[in-house]
Amino acid sequence: MKLTVNGHSTYISTGGKKPSMGNQAIFFLPGSGQSHLTFVLQTRFFAFEGYDVYAPDFPGHGLSKGNPLETIEEMADWIAVLMVKCNLKSAIIVGHSQGCLVAMSLAHKYPDLAEKLILIAGALQIKVNDYLLDKSNSSMPLAVKMMTEWGHGRNGHFFAASQPGHSLLGIGRELMMANAQDALSADLLACNQFDANNIAAEIEVPVLCILAQDDKMTPVKLGVKMSDSFKNSMCVKIAQSGHMLPIEKPDDVNSSIQKFLN
Amino acid sequence: MSHKFKFDTLSLHAGQIPDSETGSRAVPIHQTTSYVFRNTRHAAALYNMEVGGHLYSRISNPTVAVLEQRVAALDDAAAATATSSGMAALFSALLTICSAGDHIVASSQLYGANVNLLKYTLPRFGIRTTFVDPTNHEEIKSAITENTKIFFSEIIGNPGLVILDVDAVAKMCQEHSILFMVDGTFNTPYLMAPVKNGVNIIIHSLTKWMGGHGVAIGGVVVDGGNFDWGSTDKFPTISEPHYAMDGINFYEEFGPVAFTAKFRAEAMYNFGPCLAPMNAFHILQGLETLPLRMQRHIENTQELLKFLISHEQISWVRHPSLPEHPQHELAAEMLPRGAGSIITFGIKGGRDAGKKFIETVTLSSHLANVGDAKTLVIHPASTTHSHIDSQSMLSAGLTDDMIRLSVGLEDISDIISDFEQGLKAASKL
Repeated sequence: MKLTVNGHSTYISTGGKKPSMGNQAIFFLPGSGQSHLTFVLQTRFFAFEGYDVYAPDFPGHGLSKGNPLETIEEMADWIAVLMVKCNLKSAIIVGHSQGCLVAMSLAHKYPDLAEKLILIAGALQIKVNDYLLDKSNSSMPLAVKMMTEWGHGRNGHFFAASQPGHSLLGIGRELMMANAQDALSADLLACNQFDANNIAAEIEVPVLCILAQDDKMTPVKLGVKMSDSFKNSMCVKIAQSGHMLPIEKPDDVNSSIQKFLN
Repeated sequence: MSHKFKFDTLSLHAGQIPDSETGSRAVPIHQTTSYVFRNTRHAAALYNMEVGGHLYSRISNPTVAVLEQRVAALDDAAAATATSSGMAALFSALLTICSAGDHIVASSQLYGANVNLLKYTLPRFGIRTTFVDPTNHEEIKSAITENTKIFFSEIIGNPGLVILDVDAVAKMCQEHSILFMVDGTFNTPYLMAPVKNGVNIIIHSLTKWMGGHGVAIGGVVVDGGNFDWGSTDKFPTISEPHYAMDGINFYEEFGPVAFTAKFRAEAMYNFGPCLAPMNAFHILQGLETLPLRMQRHIENTQELLKFLISHEQISWVRHPSLPEHPQHELAAEMLPRGAGSIITFGIKGGRDAGKKFIETVTLSSHLANVGDAKTLVIHPASTTHSHIDSQSMLSAGLTDDMIRLSVGLEDISDIISDFEQGLKAASKL
């Protein structure tokens, strides 16, 4: 569905089903340079499981218009505005990578909006190396190539996919290249500047951390540290997957979420 | 992992991780029509495209999926869907996009069955094609109309061996928001993987070099994932709610693989052009050695060209690597690993001499195929292109005396020896 948020057309995937407004709402927040399509194997699944699904494209990403947001806090504010637009008082918040930072910021700034957090391949801080930051500005195709190759684990590199005929590396590249030119660099800068070390302990809601054993971008030890920082959290580690857990191991991710929510 | 495997490695491994239960190193042949659902919810999830997996082998099959993912890897594309033949791939891809009233612009330099499909079959369903000289960019541009959906061409034309300027045509297609679809059979992903050049959809006959051993018919539709379906209202069956699955919007739901999602949900589901798993297995065996074979195909082609050019019985020779080929420079730039292993030539003495040559060679096989490991010869005017009219033959660059040669992997001295005796017999007429 499309809504106008802060004056710009905003796309929100609802997983192929219109939200009923009576079901449990669940938000999916993508990582740097990603869009609702990162969660293609979660949004439809949970929509048909009976949840009201919302997977928004941030401004300048995917099918949403507007300039990319510059800080993680701005992104959390934007989600808060979007939730009001959707007539939601609260929701389960699922984040992937950068989306984890936004989810933590949202839960800290707007504790009433987040009922539970599910943080996939995340960390309290996601530092970005200078070379990638530079290339995200000067050579987007190279930055995208580096990120897709670093972001995928065994399944991606061996072109194994749960959806027949799909190339995770190829889809990842085209998905990122479809964003506004400055979207990736804005995201990476925002990640680089944000630090959740001081807010994690203040988050009261239950948290599930789903980590990838072979994650090169947010290594599992950083995910464990993140999980340990919350008052009420549990941690699941998924073997033989890289950073792009939602598409590399969709069944494992979905069943982990289901167990947590049930 | 962070290092992307190279082409030769992908040819062997892409699409398969040995399953942990059996450890089978070769790709298992899943000779089954259907798959047991875990429960009713799982069945519904497969039908709704909520989860990955297989529900019926007309739509997908695990052995075929390995092949599809390997081809997607080799073409550096977003996805691929295998079909029962190259023609099934083309027909299904065109119908995934086009409806009655739509228009296609196509190269006049096409394989005979491609010409017939576009010229005679599709107009019966209200889809019309304008044929153009693929080297004349002004002609292509002026043929594009408001209802044009696709520009279609072979990269290396069969059998005229005209080379399509992929970069230039891609730009033109982008400017007009039309899909750029190519037949990449003659180049294979080894010689050119054109998604990075702006090609949106690639059709391959897997029967040819990719399978490479003449044992299985197959085709594949490769989705570059690089067409912006949202940039135009020309493709409502992809960018607007579709009847399948409660009005699904393939573009919004599946982004870069919107075409493939629709192809799987409509063409595979409703038309049923599925590839048999056994054929997928045979083609996979071929793909494993594609880079090695293509190197040898190209080496033998170069040696045979030297022989043919210097032979007194040969009236003309055509191959894009020859300096006299009108697109020699473009071919060298676009296809640096080689411009394919098809050579066409004329024998002095015309049609009768050509016939004598074909009937006299013994090592080279006279048959209607290309891209086999073995050397093949044919007279297109009386066989592959015999069902198209004389004007179309002329447009396709066909002459009565033309012999089409698909250079194989035999020892080059044996191929040359075979040709020498064939040409000697032809000279005695």
